[in-house]
Amino acid sequence: MAELTVLRDAAERDLTKLGEYRATGGYQQLEKARGMAPEELIETISNAKLRGRGGAGFAMGRKMSLVPPADKRSGPAYVVSNADESEPGAFKDREIMRRTPHRFIEGCLIAAHGIQSKNVFIYIRGEYLTEFEVLSQAVEEARGAGVFGDTDVVVHRGAGAYICGEESALLDSLEGKRGQPRPRPPFPPVTGLYAGPTLVNNVQTLASVPAILELGVARYVQIGVEAAPGTVVYSLSGNVNRPGNYELPLGTTLRQLIFDHGHGVAEGRGLKAIIPGGSSVPVFTPDQLDVPLDFDAVQAAGSFLGSAAVIVVDDRACMVQLGLRAEKFYMHESCGKCTPCREGTRWLVQLLERIERGHGTQGDLDLLRNVCDRILGKSLCALGDFAVYCVASYVDKFYDEFQSHIDQGGCPFGGESSIEGVLAPSDMHTHSPMASPVPA
Amino acid sequence: MSSIELVTITVDGVEVQVPKGLGLVESAAMAGIEIPVFCYEPRIGPPIGACRMCLVEVEGMPKLQAGCTLTAQDGMAVLTAQASEKAADGQESTLEFILVNHPLDCPVCDKGGECPLQDLTFRYGPGNTRMNFPKRTFDKPIPISPLIALDRERCILCYRCTRFSGEVAEDGQLVAKNRGAQSVIATFEDEPYRGQFTGNVIELCPVGALTSTPYRFEGRPWEIQNVPSVCGMCPVGCNISATTREGKVRRVVSRNHPEVDEGWLCDKGRFAFGHLQAADRIVDPLRRGQPRYEELSWDDAVDEAERILRGAEGRIVTALSGSETVELAYALGKLMRQGLGSHCAVLPEQIDDAYDAYRAPLSTIRDSSLVVVLGDEPVAERAPIVDLWIKAAQRNGAEIVRQSEPDDELARRLREAGRAVLVSSGGDGTRLAAAGKLDRDGCATFALPTTANGRGVADAWAAAADEEPENPEPIGLLIVSGDEAAADPNVRVMAERAESVLAIGMFRRLLTPWADLILPGTSYLERDGTYVNLEGRLQRLRRAAIPPALDELAMLSRLAARFDVELSPHPSLVFEEVSAIAYGGIPFGAVGEQAELRGRVPRSGVSSPASEERVSDTRRVSEGQGLRLVTYRPLFSGPAVERVPELHFQRPAAEVEVSRDDGQRLGIANGQTVTVRSNGTSVELRARLTREIPAGVARIAAEHAAGLEGHVEVTG
Repeated sequence: MAELTVLRDAAERDLTKLGEYRATGGYQQLEKARGMAPEELIETISNAKLRGRGGAGFAMGRKMSLVPPADKRSGPAYVVSNADESEPGAFKDREIMRRTPHRFIEGCLIAAHGIQSKNVFIYIRGEYLTEFEVLSQAVEEARGAGVFGDTDVVVHRGAGAYICGEESALLDSLEGKRGQPRPRPPFPPVTGLYAGPTLVNNVQTLASVPAILELGVARYVQIGVEAAPGTVVYSLSGNVNRPGNYELPLGTTLRQLIFDHGHGVAEGRGLKAIIPGGSSVPVFTPDQLDVPLDFDAVQAAGSFLGSAAVIVVDDRACMVQLGLRAEKFYMHESCGKCTPCREGTRWLVQLLERIERGHGTQGDLDLLRNVCDRILGKSLCALGDFAVYCVASYVDKFYDEFQSHIDQGGCPFGGESSIEGVLAPSDMHTHSPMASPVPA
Repeated sequence: MSSIELVTITVDGVEVQVPKGLGLVESAAMAGIEIPVFCYEPRIGPPIGACRMCLVEVEGMPKLQAGCTLTAQDGMAVLTAQASEKAADGQESTLEFILVNHPLDCPVCDKGGECPLQDLTFRYGPGNTRMNFPKRTFDKPIPISPLIALDRERCILCYRCTRFSGEVAEDGQLVAKNRGAQSVIATFEDEPYRGQFTGNVIELCPVGALTSTPYRFEGRPWEIQNVPSVCGMCPVGCNISATTREGKVRRVVSRNHPEVDEGWLCDKGRFAFGHLQAADRIVDPLRRGQPRYEELSWDDAVDEAERILRGAEGRIVTALSGSETVELAYALGKLMRQGLGSHCAVLPEQIDDAYDAYRAPLSTIRDSSLVVVLGDEPVAERAPIVDLWIKAAQRNGAEIVRQSEPDDELARRLREAGRAVLVSSGGDGTRLAAAGKLDRDGCATFALPTTANGRGVADAWAAAADEEPENPEPIGLLIVSGDEAAADPNVRVMAERAESVLAIGMFRRLLTPWADLILPGTSYLERDGTYVNLEGRLQRLRRAAIPPALDELAMLSRLAARFDVELSPHPSLVFEEVSAIAYGGIPFGAVGEQAELRGRVPRSGVSSPASEERVSDTRRVSEGQGLRLVTYRPLFSGPAVERVPELHFQRPAAEVEVSRDDGQRLGIANGQTVTVRSNGTSVELRARLTREIPAGVARIAAEHAAGLEGHVEVTG
């Protein structure tokens, strides 16, 4: 078993308790960090080459260094942790907050020291009720024990919008506004929460920070791959025998994850496709099983590591159905601010639905692919791109399957059961019924 | 101000120097190249990059960029849709996406023909549609108020209206609700959109989603004419275009004067034009008889007017409204003063000439660092657009101080502030302006008159003769000029005492049964002439609609001939006479369609005794029991508003405003029904707690304060 950093001791002890966490050396790294000059701390994190685990893989040390130092800013700076984990397939932050909340809080406080901030906000997905309760208790316990010093930590619950996982929409929502992305530049390190410099980092990124100080940069960079050291909690789901969260070094191959750790495709079926980074990213085919799961390698192979949510798709699945289900999610979660995403996702759903039902024409298939291109790269935030990466890759890599829907005038796989266990339907992601763009 | 750093960028290969940080839309315009937009509108705050119409290619950036949010940096190379296939594809994509669900009901859409979506689709859009699904539908039209209809199917979600509501009017009533393709514009809990400035969202809407209910289906753009004029509803003098069709005014829209109104209008200015068609509009001269008024021919009316004027033997008082043009007030003055030797007038108000030393454009407020509002009258009710300028100043970081009375501390702060502006709203600001040294560059003082052209009327009356007036006793003849004067209770008291009354007005119900001879009046939308706004800016009114009767100037000219007074019926010639005396001889033509502000008139060594007297009299600080009552005339009141039913929902609620501190002290909650008492009179009103008025004051709209005076007791 490789070295654990984020979930270390979490299997053996109840790390939600402050005493237990302290017994494993918890909050000692915070003390160490507070003994360091902020610049030195930022340099350490930079040297550890810690890359953001939320999706974009941006270097945390570099992000911290973009925040103007205390003597060069007029107002307060903020640390905001993005705990609005909502990408279908991703459930790593949930595990971290539920099982080792103090390590996450410690990471937040260390980051706050690094940018000389006294205010930490944790924006947690509204549906994560248990995690909110665990985290809140941990915050209270740590506050009561005087761990915070003159820094404060506020846990804020989201209200059920995927878009609020986008950092600028998250900031607007945190400010009490309608959660919609902001144009950038300016970026949050310069103009973020309440127009102040703001460091926005994912839960896992922050929870990785204590280990860097504990192990030291030299040891930390031995884990994982050279350009992206450390571990990642891979969320393995779909048609796999042992789904779950696996903390493994960056660079673990898909084959290792799915077959060694996940014990292979469920029910002994054939592997059809792998989604390597949450439902939005371009799909992989079985010949790509040896791609190492780190940011650069996955990108070189034509997809994104994203939130390291690996979804296994077996040979029963209809890719049109899968695309439709994914697209319905993005249509439902499009915030409505920019035109291509708002209108385009709905159009894609209409086209996919028609093709899946067997009423599609060759023109519809061409149009489907073209509409993807017309959305790509033109939306205000990345949601528009996410909404087409997946579907466009299904069309490109499984074109014959789409074609046979046209040619046969129906779905060759039949029924929605073919994607059971891969992606939940989008009406399971919501509290309210969604308006269908296509009359039933 | 630091000097502006210039950077060099290229747009479609054209090199252009622009200030660093200038938006790309403006930068490209400086190179003569258009970047089309929908959501971008610099007047309503920072760009939001929502519509994606302005996509451009920028060298070194892999993705297309929104031209509205990106700013010019040195060496930037920008390619617009006119030079870049990629950018052209981006723009065409945006238009295709907008049009997939936009209904193509242009033939029956009020916006058709003056619609940015039509225009940009024509220039940049795809020629056909690839969308063959049923379009998204919503319930429509939704009346978001009696004035505005919302068509959610046409809405392209540019968020201009919600940004205006949130960031300009700051009423926060228009919001977007739901998400994604189901997003719609709405008011909270479907309450009507109420406020002084709601109609601006109609003009901001780049499609036909928000349309004016009074204008709905009233005209097509190719059969209307837009007459450039100036609003006559308040002393701001917003620049307007009056849209006419078949000789009638159908709509009033803004004609952006960046120093005066920045393209905003209040709802009174925008919607009150319906009073031109009022049911009780007077179109023929009327003489009081028994048992009823009889209509007169114009010849008979002039004979009758001459008879009444001669009968008064000089014992004439002229009550003016402040809505007369400079020319009309001068004509009246010349006839009365030179022809009949009657110099006594009731002027609507007297604005101290001392304010002319601090004259500046209203836009000065926006750029100031300190704004002092002196007096208790709500600015938005008197001069609504001034309130928007103050809000803009506050958003830009200016400090806003509201105080009833001037004091030395306030003067010191005005002196020490970088750019200070004093707005006197019912207070006397002359001494404070002098003590605050507001004749500095970048500073200004504005007094808010209560009438649209009170200043011009006073100028014109004074220009007509030099003699000092003597009050006639008893009054032989009271001349009532205009409907505002006719509605003034003080004028009515004088009418009781006068032997006879000659009135000029538009509305019969205001003038009967007390006026002996009634001559038809006209509206500002039916007149040529000039107004002087609260800044002291001379502005040009143009006749948008032909009045239903002979206009006042023509009638006065005929009457003047009977008294050997030479008076032209043409405003241009009358203006020449006034201008030579009062406005330094500026020719009529030079007033222009976008008038410039005249220079400051430096204060002379000694100010007029009248103003000294008022300065020393710190008004109404007498101690009394309870709260000092302040009543004000609401914006949505007066003869014109009363005749426009669509505006009635805007009339003020039966409320008393008190400060939060007083509310707490008196144990009154916001929204609670309270009893307001003074001198044995009591009124039940709803309490509104506000930060906008100082402690010790109770503010009530005049129409809800009947019988109350002095100090009032407010109990829960």
